[in-house]
Amino acid sequence: MDILLSPQLLAAALITGVLYALISLGLNLIYGTMRLLNVAHGDLVMIGAYIAFIVFSLFNVGPLVSMFGAAVICGGLGWFAYKSIFQNLLSNSQILARLEENSLLLFFGISVVVQNLVILFFTADRQGYEYLSAIVEIGDVRLTGARLAVLIVGSVISIAAVLYLRFSLFGLAMNALIQNRDASAVVGINVDRVQMFSLIIGFGITGLAGALISVLEPITPVMGFPYTMSAFVVIILGGLGNLWGGFLAGLLLGMLEIFGVAITGPEWRSVLVYGIFIGILIFRPQGLLGRGKIAR
Amino acid sequence: MLKRLLTASLVIVGMFGLLGPAHAADPVKIGFSIPKTGLFAPAGPSQLNAYLVWQKMVNDKGGLDIGGKGRRKIEFVQYDDKSDPAQAVKIYEKLITSDKVDLVMAPWGTQHHFAIAPVVERHKFPLIGNTAASVALRKVKPGYLWFTTPMMPDNLAKEMTAMLKSRGVKSVAIMYNLLQFASENIQFLKPALAKAGITVKFEAKYPPDIKDMTGMLTKIKGANPDAVLVHSYPGDSILYMNQAREVGINAKTQYVMVGPAIGFFRGMFKSNLDGIVTMAAWTPGLKNTTGSQEFYNAYKKMFKGHEPDYLDSVEVFVSAQILEQAIAKVGLNREKIRQAVNTMTFDTIYGKIKFDGVQNSITPAGFAQIQKGKIEVVWPKQRATSAVVDKGAWAK
Repeated sequence: MDILLSPQLLAAALITGVLYALISLGLNLIYGTMRLLNVAHGDLVMIGAYIAFIVFSLFNVGPLVSMFGAAVICGGLGWFAYKSIFQNLLSNSQILARLEENSLLLFFGISVVVQNLVILFFTADRQGYEYLSAIVEIGDVRLTGARLAVLIVGSVISIAAVLYLRFSLFGLAMNALIQNRDASAVVGINVDRVQMFSLIIGFGITGLAGALISVLEPITPVMGFPYTMSAFVVIILGGLGNLWGGFLAGLLLGMLEIFGVAITGPEWRSVLVYGIFIGILIFRPQGLLGRGKIAR
Repeated sequence: MLKRLLTASLVIVGMFGLLGPAHAADPVKIGFSIPKTGLFAPAGPSQLNAYLVWQKMVNDKGGLDIGGKGRRKIEFVQYDDKSDPAQAVKIYEKLITSDKVDLVMAPWGTQHHFAIAPVVERHKFPLIGNTAASVALRKVKPGYLWFTTPMMPDNLAKEMTAMLKSRGVKSVAIMYNLLQFASENIQFLKPALAKAGITVKFEAKYPPDIKDMTGMLTKIKGANPDAVLVHSYPGDSILYMNQAREVGINAKTQYVMVGPAIGFFRGMFKSNLDGIVTMAAWTPGLKNTTGSQEFYNAYKKMFKGHEPDYLDSVEVFVSAQILEQAIAKVGLNREKIRQAVNTMTFDTIYGKIKFDGVQNSITPAGFAQIQKGKIEVVWPKQRATSAVVDKGAWAK
């Protein structure tokens, strides 16, 4: 049990948790404002990772810089997806009623197309590069520079995004849309604009996360799916559309995974993670921080 | 009338052209499936690239030598099996019955080999397997399928134990991925270690989607074994490499099963890979082999300086060399090719190969070590290009 007091383990749990929180943020925004089930979410992580890899290979520029490029490009993809597909669908009330379930199929199709396009241009070969590989010692904790960077940058961006969306005027408008789409329109919020920026910001943050992840694992066209799964677990744990809840749930999942595995053994990881997930769905379906709705 | 006669003659000539025997210049059509999409897609290029290198090398010589009766170029017919064995079954049926290929080559992975075995048996198409390894393969009825791999789990366990003993290792820590090949290795490794008097101080299995190893590695550091044996695949091998440095695993022998022999992996870790032992039995400078340096050079030229995967690409090229030499001996008659594969001894980049039943009976299982950025075969000793050395301290 001494292992539970290990600061190294705590650092590992924070890194895992921050990554989960960061990745799930975009999914939560998009689901919250538009009720779109983006099962291609992990593919944005993959695109961000490829952008970082290409920029590093061509210009020797690391992901701490290229992550902003990845955010802009993925945000641009969000804008394109909104203008070309979702703007029309979201403005049609008949389609809107069924959009949540239909979006699942739509994004599944997008995922297949995106993965195949990446395979076509870059092959399915694994890619990777060395970046900030030196060990940094902070007290008893030893981390590679890359993992430390992921921890710091991931934390700053997650917290900044959550605070911005909680306190800025635009963030308040977004929150209003998450709570009640129809009422938001009535009080003068430009729903169309908020939706578009939700998609842009959601895609952008996920692309940025992908650039950070590119230094931690092999980059392949199929690397995104596990992140889609994790992001869904996190946003359901935190409460669908609840950004602050999602952030805490990401951290909680990281802690649960790392400390839970240290106590029980790695083969129990899936049982722990998905066991808690199912438990939350049964006993607290609105999520840890979600509020129950009163039906009148 | 003359015009009709001329037309009829042309039609008849044309029909003979379609139905008659192939011209000497017609390419030999060889079919296979490849996982271009799906779970195994990242593993596909190691195989496909080796096939393409072989095709180019052979075609540059004028084509396959067809039993000493002239040369014909190779034309590939390939389909994406989407990483699905059931899809591979349909593809091999199509290749044989609809595309009318002359021969087939192997799909990727053990599961796919098992899946298509009945198809090649039924149609009597010889197939030299590659990228498949399991002791269960020995249960395949000898017929039209052979396996080139020397990396059978029981042989690996035997060689690993011998290597550890030669290094004076008294205790080990074992971590392994729950995927089939890694688990099967442990099934044979533990009894072999026990028999050799080597203590297992720590053992843990983990799921393929593991995201962190800090807990396991902290326990291993506490156990302080002489050797750490990680039966991992590229994704989890990267985790180990990063986190073993963080935790400070300093065992003199560290084995990382799959990853270090692949080019991208070496690009990620560079000097930190020095001293890591991995599963591979080939290097371009390996003695008593045929075409090793040529294959290596051709691969690097074709794929813009990228090195072949020292495990999968090598095994794939070996299977192609075997097929090429069997065709050179007996031509394209599939029954004769089957007999040739059963009886001939082949000269390959692995060295001489002969089959006993379905299995490569000559090439021993072995290990390589990254030494000053190069991959050296270090075990077994009779094949070694360099002696195995202690893993030094991790780079800062």
